[in-house]
Amino acid sequence: MSTTESSTASAHQKNQVDLLDFIDWTGVECLNQNTAHAYPNALKQGYREDEGLHLESDADEQLLIYIPFTQVIKLHSIVIKGPEEEGPQTVKLYTNKEHMGFSNVSDYPPSDTLALTPENLKGKPVVLKYVKFQNVRSLTIFIEDNQSGADVTKVQKIILQGMTVETTDMKGLKKIEDHNH
Amino acid sequence: MVLEATMICIDNSEWMRNGDYSPTRFQAQADAVNLICGAKTQSNPENTVGVLTMAGKGVRVLVTPTSDLGKILACMHGLDIGGEMNLAAGIQVAQLALKHRQNKKQQQRIIVFAGGPVKYDKKVLEMIGKKLKKNSVALDVVNFGEEDEAKTEKLEALVAAVNNNDSSHIVHVPAGSNALSDVLLSTPIFTGDGEGGSGFAAAAAAAAAGGVSGFDFGVDPNLDPELALALRVSMEEERARQEAAAKKAADDSSKQEKEGESTSQDATMSENVGTSESENKKDDLMDDENALLQQALAMSMDDPAATVTTRDVDMSEAATDDQDLALALQLSVQEGAKDQSGQADMGKLLADQSFVSSILASLPGVDPNDPSVKDLLASMQNQSESSEQKKDEDKKEDDK
Repeated sequence: MSTTESSTASAHQKNQVDLLDFIDWTGVECLNQNTAHAYPNALKQGYREDEGLHLESDADEQLLIYIPFTQVIKLHSIVIKGPEEEGPQTVKLYTNKEHMGFSNVSDYPPSDTLALTPENLKGKPVVLKYVKFQNVRSLTIFIEDNQSGADVTKVQKIILQGMTVETTDMKGLKKIEDHNH
Repeated sequence: MVLEATMICIDNSEWMRNGDYSPTRFQAQADAVNLICGAKTQSNPENTVGVLTMAGKGVRVLVTPTSDLGKILACMHGLDIGGEMNLAAGIQVAQLALKHRQNKKQQQRIIVFAGGPVKYDKKVLEMIGKKLKKNSVALDVVNFGEEDEAKTEKLEALVAAVNNNDSSHIVHVPAGSNALSDVLLSTPIFTGDGEGGSGFAAAAAAAAAGGVSGFDFGVDPNLDPELALALRVSMEEERARQEAAAKKAADDSSKQEKEGESTSQDATMSENVGTSESENKKDDLMDDENALLQQALAMSMDDPAATVTTRDVDMSEAATDDQDLALALQLSVQEGAKDQSGQADMGKLLADQSFVSSILASLPGVDPNDPSVKDLLASMQNQSESSEQKKDEDKKEDDK
């Protein structure tokens, strides 16, 4: 059982791509960001690889990032890199909830809630509840607090891994079903 | 062209009855609101504006954000004035109204008119400000009406808490002759942030400045608002320059006038100020003199002895002896008559250095620059008017 599980996981992992190319940049929004340290620092290619550039919260430690995609995707895992102290801790993910505000984050149940560890902040991917992220048109990342409870949360890098629905390899799916049966 | 949803919070508290802004604070505010609504809806066709009142029985949303200018303007009529302004509730309701805007792509902005006193704590306002900032809502505050330091401080703290990237502004409008809406036209509330002024603001400003006479540069301000703005600015600069120059000239001339009176040697004075005035005076003087001359002549011819003094009698006696003497006497009689009636006028006129010198200059064969004439003038100036000098003067005039 455990072998099959690990093999499916690895099979998934192999097929996952960076979803950077499928982000609809015109629609990306970030609430409570410090405009001097805005979201492109953590999301866009080139900027996010630079350790010196980071996304920073402004009025308090919370951040709300809305990311629409150009096509429907499946989200497999997420990498959130940040400094040890001010890196995010509790992160809630919502799918297909457009234009949320801080006041209504508690109105919907999150699709997944992550508790980031220091290893995660150094670049270890967090694997999500894959079934909850099968039909994703937009993703809302709500960073609730940070590791040390500081006033400012910093995020150096966000990588979304998954695949697009159109490019889903039907053969690969069958294989997995075979394994499960 | 920012795409924006705006909520305007009107203050309709009892304090708005005051008339220190013409015609009343409330009406001035309503005008300003109308203007802002026009500016916002024109700067981008998809912009929406909503209005709510903060005082009265409670915060009341009059119009939710809409792009229909008619709706917005209509809601401003027949509003009741009463109660106290509830700033915190007003802002929070405005935020809620903005949150449920139809077009989520719009930026959110709240414009607050704070005319009455602010009863909330600075802390509470700062907290609300932080909340607005967190939800990326910009806030503009128009501080007018009641003036006290605590209120100003509170409002500034509120705006400072909201301000993110210089998108929120506060404007203080003290009571005065300028209309509230006119003052606001040139503020960032209209001109927006860093856009160099929206077309509407330019056009509206031009219209406000032009008033009834309209825009007289031969350019339609609606067609090319940027050009209109540029023209207007340059015109205002020129006007300011001219005003400054005129003021300076006025100062200078008044100073010169004083100097001229004391030294009576100022050449520019007689050129600039003296000529036109003295020309008029000269004409008057000539008429007067002619009349007097005729009168005197008639008197001396008719009945020299009966006319006035014993001196005249003596003279008429002498006149029988010699023809030449008679002529001279006649002249002196004329002088006497003139002296009596025209003394006051002449004294004044002769005191006017510039006038005298201009007269002298116009007489044939008299050089006003002649040292002896100058001396004469100077001595006249000192009020030591001897009859001899007068005779000189009169003779010259008679010659003419």
